[in-house]
Amino acid sequence: MTSYQSRLGEGEGIAEELAESQRAISIAEFFEKNKHMLGFDSEARALVTAVKEAVDNALDACEEAGILPDIYVEIQESGDYYKLVVEDNGPGITKEQAPKIFGKLLYGSRFHAREQNRGQQGIGISAAVLYSQLTSGKPAKITSRPKGQDEAQYFELIVDTDTNEPEISVDETTTWERPHGTRIELEMEANMRARSTLRDYIQDTAVVNPHARIEFDEPGLDESLKFERAERADLPDETEEIRPHPHGVELGTLLKMLEATDSYSVSGFMQEEFTRVGGKTADSVIANFNDRHYGRGMAWQPPKVNEDADIERAVEDAVANKGAETTATFAAAVSDAIHDRDRVAYHEVEAIVDSAAEDAEADGDTTFGATVRENAVEAAWGAVSDNLSSDLYALVDEVTTKRKDDAAIEGLASRLADKFDGGGRHRLTRDELRGYIDRAADMTEEQDDATFGETARENVLEALWTAAEGVPEEPPKVSDIADDRDTASELLSAMRETDIIAPPTDCLSPISAELVEEGLRKEFDADFYAASTRDASVHGGDPFIVEAGIAYGGELESEGTVDVMRFANRVPLVYQRGACATTDVVKSIRWRNYNLDQPGGSGIPKGPAVIMVHVASTNVPFTSESKDAIANVPEMEDEIELAIREAARELKSYLNKRRSMQQRREKQDKLATILPEMAEKLTEVTDNDELHIDDSLARIMNNVLVEREVEDDTVRVRIENNDDTNADVELTDIVTAEPQVTNGATVVEMDGEWFVKWSPTVGAGETAVLEYSVTGEAEFTVSVDGIEEEKLTVNA
Amino acid sequence: MSTDSDTTPDTEEAREQLIDLAADFYDQFADGEVPTMTIPTRTKSNIVFDEDEQVWVYGDRNSTRSAKTISGAEKILKAVYTIDFLSQQLEEDRSSTLRELYYLSESWDLDEAQFNTQDESNNLIEDLEIVSDVKREDFHMRPEESGAKVMGPLLLREQTNRGDREIHCQDDVGQGGYQIPNNPDTIEFLDNDAKFVLCVETGGMRDRLVENGFDDEYDALVVHLGGQPARATRRLIKRLHDELDLPVTVFTDGDPWSYRIFGSVSYGSIKSAHLSEYLATPEAQFIGIRPEDIVEYELPTDPLADSDVNALESELEDPRFQTDFWEEQIELQLDINKKAEQQALASRGLDFVTETYLPERLDEMGLL
Repeated sequence: MTSYQSRLGEGEGIAEELAESQRAISIAEFFEKNKHMLGFDSEARALVTAVKEAVDNALDACEEAGILPDIYVEIQESGDYYKLVVEDNGPGITKEQAPKIFGKLLYGSRFHAREQNRGQQGIGISAAVLYSQLTSGKPAKITSRPKGQDEAQYFELIVDTDTNEPEISVDETTTWERPHGTRIELEMEANMRARSTLRDYIQDTAVVNPHARIEFDEPGLDESLKFERAERADLPDETEEIRPHPHGVELGTLLKMLEATDSYSVSGFMQEEFTRVGGKTADSVIANFNDRHYGRGMAWQPPKVNEDADIERAVEDAVANKGAETTATFAAAVSDAIHDRDRVAYHEVEAIVDSAAEDAEADGDTTFGATVRENAVEAAWGAVSDNLSSDLYALVDEVTTKRKDDAAIEGLASRLADKFDGGGRHRLTRDELRGYIDRAADMTEEQDDATFGETARENVLEALWTAAEGVPEEPPKVSDIADDRDTASELLSAMRETDIIAPPTDCLSPISAELVEEGLRKEFDADFYAASTRDASVHGGDPFIVEAGIAYGGELESEGTVDVMRFANRVPLVYQRGACATTDVVKSIRWRNYNLDQPGGSGIPKGPAVIMVHVASTNVPFTSESKDAIANVPEMEDEIELAIREAARELKSYLNKRRSMQQRREKQDKLATILPEMAEKLTEVTDNDELHIDDSLARIMNNVLVEREVEDDTVRVRIENNDDTNADVELTDIVTAEPQVTNGATVVEMDGEWFVKWSPTVGAGETAVLEYSVTGEAEFTVSVDGIEEEKLTVNA
Repeated sequence: MSTDSDTTPDTEEAREQLIDLAADFYDQFADGEVPTMTIPTRTKSNIVFDEDEQVWVYGDRNSTRSAKTISGAEKILKAVYTIDFLSQQLEEDRSSTLRELYYLSESWDLDEAQFNTQDESNNLIEDLEIVSDVKREDFHMRPEESGAKVMGPLLLREQTNRGDREIHCQDDVGQGGYQIPNNPDTIEFLDNDAKFVLCVETGGMRDRLVENGFDDEYDALVVHLGGQPARATRRLIKRLHDELDLPVTVFTDGDPWSYRIFGSVSYGSIKSAHLSEYLATPEAQFIGIRPEDIVEYELPTDPLADSDVNALESELEDPRFQTDFWEEQIELQLDINKKAEQQALASRGLDFVTETYLPERLDEMGLL
């Protein structure tokens, strides 16, 4: 059975095709048969899929209209059924659009568009509509209010299961509080067993769509979950649709394209319908196609002039009744032209004969008819291909190892020569040539007790194939190729074989590292966030971009393995985690290098972390039709790994810093116990006054020490940096009297208090002093920023 | 009591030295500085030979314990607690052993101040000796093991807790001899008929000499070293030499480790290099067993182990052994690849050592 996925790629026509085939069976039966592909195989999953389709649809509608999405999702219990309500603030829909969008299975322009979009992910909202109708018997209830209209429209939509035609059964005017948007209500058989999956799905959607505001309510919630829009999040950039890249199409798609194109020639078709194909590239594709379709003509070394097979004489003999002189001139011209060449193929001999014949015709009044020319060609070609074994011997000997027995090479060459003995044009495809070589080699192995291994055969093939000439045939017309699957397949191979520059990447709209981080930040209460966006890359003919994000610490669950969130084109992937390339990559990374716990040194790491990976592509390679897991495409895995590592490096440096801060804290705690005891003991032993050890402590902790000295009217604030790196200190001294003359500091008065702001950089082991004077009594309040709390001792 | 007048100033001085040390830490704190304690690095690489005194002393390299690190802070904390303890002990004129100090630290209220191992407390006491310039004995700290024994014609007076005792080291003692107290400076030499001091490495040989009446016959003060000699033993030997002008001889096994015993009697050891002037007797002479004796007396031998060879080779590079005598002997030993114990002399009869070997050797050395 052809895979469903490849058929999806075949474009718009599939809808009709499917619908057509459905007339034989009912649409309900079709649905029943295919529901596992459509994501409705269990009641629990059906609800998740319906939510997913409806939310994707809503997000797309808003984005296409340039509106920041505001989506409301609600699940209600409704007797034996569940009712799903999804509202958006999109542009609304008209009565005419409604049946197409919600009612027609596989309607829409998304499947064949070379553009990053959500629609690749599922089969569309129509499947949910159909499922609800089939299970509850209720119509889909749609409320829509296009922008600028005072009233909303209410439709009820039913799909005629016999004809697969949607029908509007109710159409009335209503009121709706949203200024514009669409609301759809679906009732269906369902259950809430996948409740946590649903919630995760909504949350994940919010993470990966930071520009959207989403609200979610279901019977198990006390109050609805609200996922607010990230502050800096704008609509994703609009994507450019691109033509397909020759490396990214499959045979079915190619056939459809061949059928649909207006182009007549293969060259025109290639340049019109594909991205990155110009005249030169088209020629290369055609040359490769011809090699497959027509094969190459073997080209042989012309015999030496003094050898038995004399071309000139053979041609002379073959030409009758043209007069001795003319015949001799003609034969000499053919012979000379052939001898001018190192090797000559049949079609070249033809060209030479034609050219000589035309010259002869021009010189005299003789005509060289087709028969004469044919005879001349046959004679010349016969002479050229008279002694192939020596020619082949040289070719074979050149590419086989020195150790090969001379007799064996001789044997192989003469057996190969025999294959060409039957006359003819010596035209063959690479596969046919390989067949000749294999048979000749097998025979030689058998009879001459020699060995010709795979490498030797491949080398001989390569030498002979290179010696052969591409034939100057025109490729078949596009319409003929479209009718012939095999020829189309040859064209596809030729396209794949040809070097073609990578497709443009403006068809992609990544979330951006900044917004990935923002998305994580708003949905996870963590201590640390990092994100990365890779540059665009290509697999097959499809460009893709991988983004990764990591959140760590805070309120994240610290027991068990970290959460790996997977996304494709901004849609969360919910099922088949274990089959996904993303998961494989996460497992393969040595997380211990990034300071995450990873028992056994491989597998999903442990700890309070979330790792998210987003793959944006015009064609995300999924493992199966249900589109839950990204396939193990090496180019994509590499990019996923690099994206994750980029974010993980930030995590590592954060964790290192955190660890060193923790060590510092531990050291401080320990010293904070030891040193006061030491001081007390010293006071006791030496019988002295009580000791103040703050300054010593600050120095010991490698701390930044802020001290104040007040001497008459002069105030000195000293910042002593006992650390071994520079300290950028932002100090604010709030003084209750007006300070005079401050060095390098600014003073702002506010409600009778003066804010002395000073931002020195204090080198390692250095001290900076702020000095100012205050007349009369003053109180001081100092605050210091820019230094971690653990590293700061304020004694002022 | 006369003893009081003798010891009190010393005790008081020692106490003050310790408290001065604590006061240094106090001042560092008071100045907002980080308390530190600087002591010479006590490793082999920081031991230099004092050519004038002919003893080993510490070189210029210092290591600093700073309260900046947890381990440094703990060391200083322990030092302060120990100073507190020692100063009380001195105040009360009591004494304790190194091991007692180790256990006593368990009673200190702060866990961080307690010693983890006996080595730690032993080392700390040595550190304090160095930085305060007061000897352990003056802190009233003594080692667990008692000092070795002396047998010979010597009359002395020892201050004990139970008053002064006059003891003759032949007449007033049993077969075991006179037990050297932990602080030999509490001994006063009264009279002697000794001609020389004979330090013996092994207990077995000492007993042989005493049984054979060697001390009596040759007016020798037989001092048992018992392996590497304790500080008290070395101090007593030094005093016997310096105060009674007695030549000191050392009689050990014939192997590289025994030569080091001689070295520590003669030139001082690494761990107590700060006290070399006080403990070492550079004039001490080596009797044997010399490698030469192994050949001459055809003594039963063991072959040298690899570690013996290494030790001998490192001794060749050791300035303590860079004399013609030692170079000749060590090279000979490496050549014959043999070592012999003192007791190997018994292969020639039990009396051989006292009747032949020692008289011959002492005669050669001009002591008889």
